Amino acid sequence: MVTVTIDEKPCQARPGETILAVARREGIWIPTLCYHEALEPYAACRICVVEIDRGGWWQVVTSCNYPIRRDLTVRVNSERAVGARRGVMQLLLARCPESRELRALATRMGVDDTPYPKVTEAQRNCILCGLCVQVCAERIGASAISPAGRGVERAIAAPFRMASEDCIACGACAAVCPVGTISVRMHETEVEISPFKSRAKLRRCPGCGRPVGSELVREALSRRGGPTVLEMLARQGLCPRCRREKLAIELTLAVPHGVAGQSVSET
Amino acid sequence: MSTVDTRLQTADDLEAYRQRLLAGYDPKARRVRVCVGTGCTAKGAIAVFERFRQAAEDFQDESLVVGAKCTGCHGFCERGPIVVVDPGNIFYQEVKEEDVPDIWRESVLGGRAVERLLYRDEKTEQLAKTANEIPFYRAQHRIVLAHNGVIDPTRIEEYLAVGGYAGLAKTLQLMQPDEVIEEVTRSGLRGRGGGGFPTGRKWRSARDAPGEPRYVIANGDEGDPGAFMDRSLMEGTPHAVIEGMIIGGYAIGSSQGTIYVRNEYPLAVEHLTTAIGQARDLGLLGENILGSGFSFDVRINRGAGAFVCGESTALMASLEGRVGEPRAKYIHTVESGLNGKPSLLNNVETWANVPQIILKGADWFASLGTEKSKGTKVFSLVGKVKNTGLVEVPMGMTLRQIIYDIGGGIRDDKAFKAVQTGGPSGGCIPAEHLDEPVDFDRLTALGSMMGSGGMIVMDEDTCMVHVAKYFLQFLKDESCGKCTPCREGIAQMLHLLEKITKGEGQQGDTERLKTLGQLLEDTALCALGKTAAYPVLSTLRYFRAEYEAHIAEKSCPAKECPGLFVYEIDAETCTGCRLCSKKCPVEAITGERKKPHKIDRQKCTNCGTCFDVCPFSAVIKV
Repeated sequence: MVTVTIDEKPCQARPGETILAVARREGIWIPTLCYHEALEPYAACRICVVEIDRGGWWQVVTSCNYPIRRDLTVRVNSERAVGARRGVMQLLLARCPESRELRALATRMGVDDTPYPKVTEAQRNCILCGLCVQVCAERIGASAISPAGRGVERAIAAPFRMASEDCIACGACAAVCPVGTISVRMHETEVEISPFKSRAKLRRCPGCGRPVGSELVREALSRRGGPTVLEMLARQGLCPRCRREKLAIELTLAVPHGVAGQSVSET
Repeated sequence: MSTVDTRLQTADDLEAYRQRLLAGYDPKARRVRVCVGTGCTAKGAIAVFERFRQAAEDFQDESLVVGAKCTGCHGFCERGPIVVVDPGNIFYQEVKEEDVPDIWRESVLGGRAVERLLYRDEKTEQLAKTANEIPFYRAQHRIVLAHNGVIDPTRIEEYLAVGGYAGLAKTLQLMQPDEVIEEVTRSGLRGRGGGGFPTGRKWRSARDAPGEPRYVIANGDEGDPGAFMDRSLMEGTPHAVIEGMIIGGYAIGSSQGTIYVRNEYPLAVEHLTTAIGQARDLGLLGENILGSGFSFDVRINRGAGAFVCGESTALMASLEGRVGEPRAKYIHTVESGLNGKPSLLNNVETWANVPQIILKGADWFASLGTEKSKGTKVFSLVGKVKNTGLVEVPMGMTLRQIIYDIGGGIRDDKAFKAVQTGGPSGGCIPAEHLDEPVDFDRLTALGSMMGSGGMIVMDEDTCMVHVAKYFLQFLKDESCGKCTPCREGIAQMLHLLEKITKGEGQQGDTERLKTLGQLLEDTALCALGKTAAYPVLSTLRYFRAEYEAHIAEKSCPAKECPGLFVYEIDAETCTGCRLCSKKCPVEAITGERKKPHKIDRQKCTNCGTCFDVCPFSAVIKV
């Protein structure tokens, strides 16, 4: 174990843990947007930056992916760290002034408004955090969407910005989206993932006829095989919350990878 | 010279082969060297070479050995195509196809110089017969470029004849890997790609990092506007890069090398490919090199020309077949780089220095340059300077020496205003710092950086706000868009600069630019974003008055930003030729023939046509 001193509070950490993980455990709030416990840190939004002591100078780093290797002194609420996070938030607000979710986080960070005009176009308040791309690749295993274009032209889309053939319309992307850009729309016979234009056949509950979800998800799950009797019994021993989470991980279509899987069950 | 049929089995084989090659070299032979670097080729060097080749082929006299060959860039691109005749090392400039018979008759066969094609010094009127007599070359010290322009880059025999692969032979024969790293460390060599990280320390980390396999990578993704150091090196002396990489592979225990070169450099790709093939044929690449038991091979990976792929992690992502986007470097690429394995990435110029350091020793290399920046650096000297081209000088030479002694001063004898070093992320250095020595730390202290070696000279007609805007536009286009500060921040800064150059700037805009610049430096993911604001911050530091003039007075002191100055006709100079009034698209110019004309300010759209067409420079900007 190593000691991480966060804003003068000494905390214990395992080598390899991130600053964010330790801070969360200790109840120290650091805002995040592109971070999700079930996914590898992507560190694109830069809203989680903090300062670390590099011996004589302080470096601004992203807390979500900075691995702690030895004793470390961190400043979360220094003037520079707070200023940097607010500055990034102001840039995002200029891009997506209409996002309610972004405004709520901004308020919590002490940012009332942005001094900047809107100079980049965002598709439905998309902040390009990349969570949808990652969940689709790492968790669902479909890799139906990816960033397209470069710089201010960047957008999340299926290849050639057409409807994707790989999308199974599971809606994981919509579930992780922090700003509500992506939505699952139920039509009469189809499920649509908007704005990616992909559609799949809608499955309805054979009992009551209510819409359940994508037929393709059912097919994908059925290919994975069901739980064994032993697994069923093990599941029975869990409390409802843990049972739900364990089931969610098992139903993940991609090969679950250890690190992310672990952190889900920890929360 | 003939090629060998079999691989060279030992270092002694290599030396014996080199001696055979040298013995076959006739010092009395008359040879023409034609530069076919990209610059000279663009100016017609291929046709010139063909004429010489044909002349040599048609030559019948058995008593005289004649030949013509292609070489890499000589550096003096301003005066291309360049042709050098041996023996005598006679240097011809701006050679056209029709000049070939004269050179052939007088110089190649007659041994005399064709005076009209020699370089003439502007001030002294003296003719320079050899390159060394030309000021552009006199102050240079060529190590990396020593063989550019001398050898045919497509023939390994020529590289061997000038001592090529002797550094490799020495490494494999006499040195342990740790000794190689020690030698590079002691030499004080620092990364030539921009960062200036101590090369030896990087090699040591790569050797000590756990994991197999390890990779050796050469970064040839040069993409700065106006920079062509790496291109000319890869085109002109590709074997030096390869030799350096093999030595590096031996030092860190790697058997796989990759050269990442952008596909926009077709000649570099071609020459590197040829060089790799030849080195393999001779056994200088492949299994059990020179009988040492060490194996190493190199492949080429062509980049699609994204500037951000010069960034180490983006380059490696691209090598892995993924989108060329950077990732955090909290764990360095020497520990976890390509495919998550220890990877040693150096710029091609860094690699090309290595064989010489091994061969001549760390002390020799460390004797060149300044206390903390050793050796030489290649710069591409461009912009409003008389002699543009590639220059290689010892570290520590002053900016003034480079720009005035080598570069010949400012074009049209205008006043020097600033020099931009370090590429798009570098900064602009004003006249008061012209006597500063050029090394990694001094340039950084001045708010600029060494970068990969671009040097853009600007004169009094250059608007510094416009310059900052130009570089920011480049970076906006080249930003990958992954992280918020780079994607949104550069766009915001550019928006402010556009407003300022249009005369719509407001009080406080310079402070806003500074705030954004600091935010980018602190929070952007990779070096592209972190340094993107440098052109703005450095021009703000040295040329704040120009920004203020744009904002407060709505005027552009350098008269470059359209709309922030007006055109007037100088009544004394105007001859009344009527050219401007005929060309003016809005009929704003009136006047009688042979009498001074006048521009109607109400009608004028500031398009600048009159300024461009006036043969007497009577149209002035005020």
